[in-house]
Amino acid sequence: MGAVDLTQFHKTFFEESLEGLDAMEAALLALDSGSTDHELVHTIFRAAHSIKGGAATFGFAEVAAFTHVAESLLEEVRSERRGVDGELIDLLLRSVDCLRAMLDHTSHGLPAADADSEALRGELVRLVSGEAAPAPAATTAAAASVDGWAIRFVALPHLLQTGNDPLRLFRELQQLGRLDVCRAFVVDAAPTQLAELDPGQCWLGWELRLHGAVARAEVAAVFDWVEGDCELAIEPIAPAASAAPVAPVAVAPPVAAPAASAPRPVRETAAASSEGSSIRVGIDKVDALINMMGELVITQSMLSDIGEHFHPSQLERLREGLLQLERNTRELQESVMRIRMLPIGSVFNRFPRLVRDLERKLGKQVKLELHGEHTELDKTVLEKIGDPLVHLVRNAIDHGLESPEQRRAAGKNETGTLRLDAYHEGGNIVVQISDDGAGLNRAAIVAKAEQRGLIRPGQEVDDAEVAELIFQPGFSTAAQATDLSGRGVGMDVVRRNVRDLGGSVGVRSQSGKGSVFTIALPLTLAIIDGLVTAVGEERYIVPLISIVESLRLRPEMVRKIAGGGEVFHFRNEYLPIMRLHRAFGCNAAITEIERGIVVVVEEEGRRVGLLVDDLLGQQQAVVKSLEAHYQRVQGISGATILSDGSVALIVDVCGVVRLGQRSKAA
Amino acid sequence: MGGKRAAKNKQPTAVADEAAVVCLPADCRLAAQAALKAQLQQVLQHGDIVIDAQALERIDTAALQLLVLFRRELEHNGGALAWRGTNEVLHEAAALLGLEQSLNLPTATSA
Repeated sequence: MGAVDLTQFHKTFFEESLEGLDAMEAALLALDSGSTDHELVHTIFRAAHSIKGGAATFGFAEVAAFTHVAESLLEEVRSERRGVDGELIDLLLRSVDCLRAMLDHTSHGLPAADADSEALRGELVRLVSGEAAPAPAATTAAAASVDGWAIRFVALPHLLQTGNDPLRLFRELQQLGRLDVCRAFVVDAAPTQLAELDPGQCWLGWELRLHGAVARAEVAAVFDWVEGDCELAIEPIAPAASAAPVAPVAVAPPVAAPAASAPRPVRETAAASSEGSSIRVGIDKVDALINMMGELVITQSMLSDIGEHFHPSQLERLREGLLQLERNTRELQESVMRIRMLPIGSVFNRFPRLVRDLERKLGKQVKLELHGEHTELDKTVLEKIGDPLVHLVRNAIDHGLESPEQRRAAGKNETGTLRLDAYHEGGNIVVQISDDGAGLNRAAIVAKAEQRGLIRPGQEVDDAEVAELIFQPGFSTAAQATDLSGRGVGMDVVRRNVRDLGGSVGVRSQSGKGSVFTIALPLTLAIIDGLVTAVGEERYIVPLISIVESLRLRPEMVRKIAGGGEVFHFRNEYLPIMRLHRAFGCNAAITEIERGIVVVVEEEGRRVGLLVDDLLGQQQAVVKSLEAHYQRVQGISGATILSDGSVALIVDVCGVVRLGQRSKAA
Repeated sequence: MGGKRAAKNKQPTAVADEAAVVCLPADCRLAAQAALKAQLQQVLQHGDIVIDAQALERIDTAALQLLVLFRRELEHNGGALAWRGTNEVLHEAAALLGLEQSLNLPTATSA
């Protein structure tokens, strides 16, 4: 409990620790796949070490204790006293999972340790140092006095002003082993008169004994931050000496327990307030932003200068200035958007582990290839794309790739290849999951679809339609049930999730050669390119990405069909006409089809013509959520503000198409 | 810091017949210690002093040091220091720093 309130750093600690765990996991997997790079071991060790240090600083004793044992094990690996084998990596991977759960609990103010974590910690302890030594980790400090350290620590007067408090240091030492204060004293240089004392200066010194099998480096690490602010001596104590009676002012042992648990109420309040996520931004991006801001200010002052003493002869300069302003604004917008962009690698990184686990479980051999990890994606999109991707990868390994025997029989390499690609295409990010497995089982899918009544028995279906079938709601994977199915996510959910992000998902498959799932995602959800259309007195924005073509129809192109629907002939097919003014109830709109304009939009391979009055132009629209300000409206995905300050609604093409189908059915 | 001595305008928090009482604030960390020091200085000549820790919630090394030095000077002047309402926070911090005896703290009741 220093003068600084530590709870404000909790969130950063959790974020950094989770990053550290990710790094640990990645390095462990690299080791597992046969890499002998010594740097990997260092990476793992460093990650564990900083989590331990942080946890101890913030008083998360259980996390610190757990990490401490893992770290001791890693230390043995690092100093090459222990070899790396599959078993060890398994154990460490489980420790990573366990730590993740512990951090999660801690961040919600729950007790971190449970039976599982204790069992795992026991396993680690047993492995460390061969000897069934009691955990050097603090809290179980029943500890027979083995070796320990005699520490002489004398604060220099300015120690407290560096924000360090001996109380915190001693608590950290308690995490390492049983701590006895042999002597606490006031240094001779201390002022004798209270009047002369500056309460901010420290005049105390201590002689301590730390009992336990602790490395010197760990003890020294506790004092890392006060180097130069104190006199410090750390000497080993012989086993005999440590048993000697100590202390005129020895600490009563029962006090050690409350010491570890005291900070708990603090962390609960902190957890409650640490909702809301943050983002880490590269300093180069921030610099670019500041540069851009500078340019904008220059342009602004130039313009206001012109405005001050305007003369018609300066018109040309004014235009130039406005042009520059437009350029600055656009660049600034791009830079700001770039701040939200994160590499997709952060999502890809979880797959090596997933693939490894699935391999073991299913007895298949999979080679995972990752490409385009540096492709950047909006943070929101990135967070939501994880689960669909996991599902697709799981599917590919479970259903797509065959067992080694089947592969050998088919004349293929026993090890199947699963490839993840991410790249830019147009205004989209494309993520592909391809495998060289058996491809979609056409016969089974068709049979299943007939059984579910999705198609008529004997109906001719082409490959594209078969592929489309697996995305249908109700097309359960039960037909291909394995222990991995029944996790509650079907392909229809994948499609829905992707669609919620404004993207699309499709599949191409070749029997015996494998399948390719392609997800196309918008770069960002915050800005769309749209076509501004007029419908009556309203303005609607149609996302450019779904527009195929806009055309004016001649009366003879339009057919009325039974049930009140209208269709028109468009490139060898008939498309339904969706009157926007009717769908959204707009007044004073053009109702004769031949006087308005039809915008042909496509969504999931389905095309519809939207009837609008006029096209007003193309514009980038900053999407504002309608739900946040009003409520969800069918067929509308959001709103934006036009240059004249009026509000325009953004058409949710998918929703409108569905709306059209429903009104047709009604 | 200023030329005026705070002692002139402030009386000890409560004065019993024999012992003066000084109460520790809830947050007795660095920021609170100028005030605490002024209070303690006033009662240095008072003889027996009681420190009331009932309200205490947070304390740091600097505060404990202040109290240790206070007791030293108080006893030098022939006074004695006693405690009232000591709590877990105080005992824990004092024990960790090995200052229980120097502060004349009563033995901790178990947690």
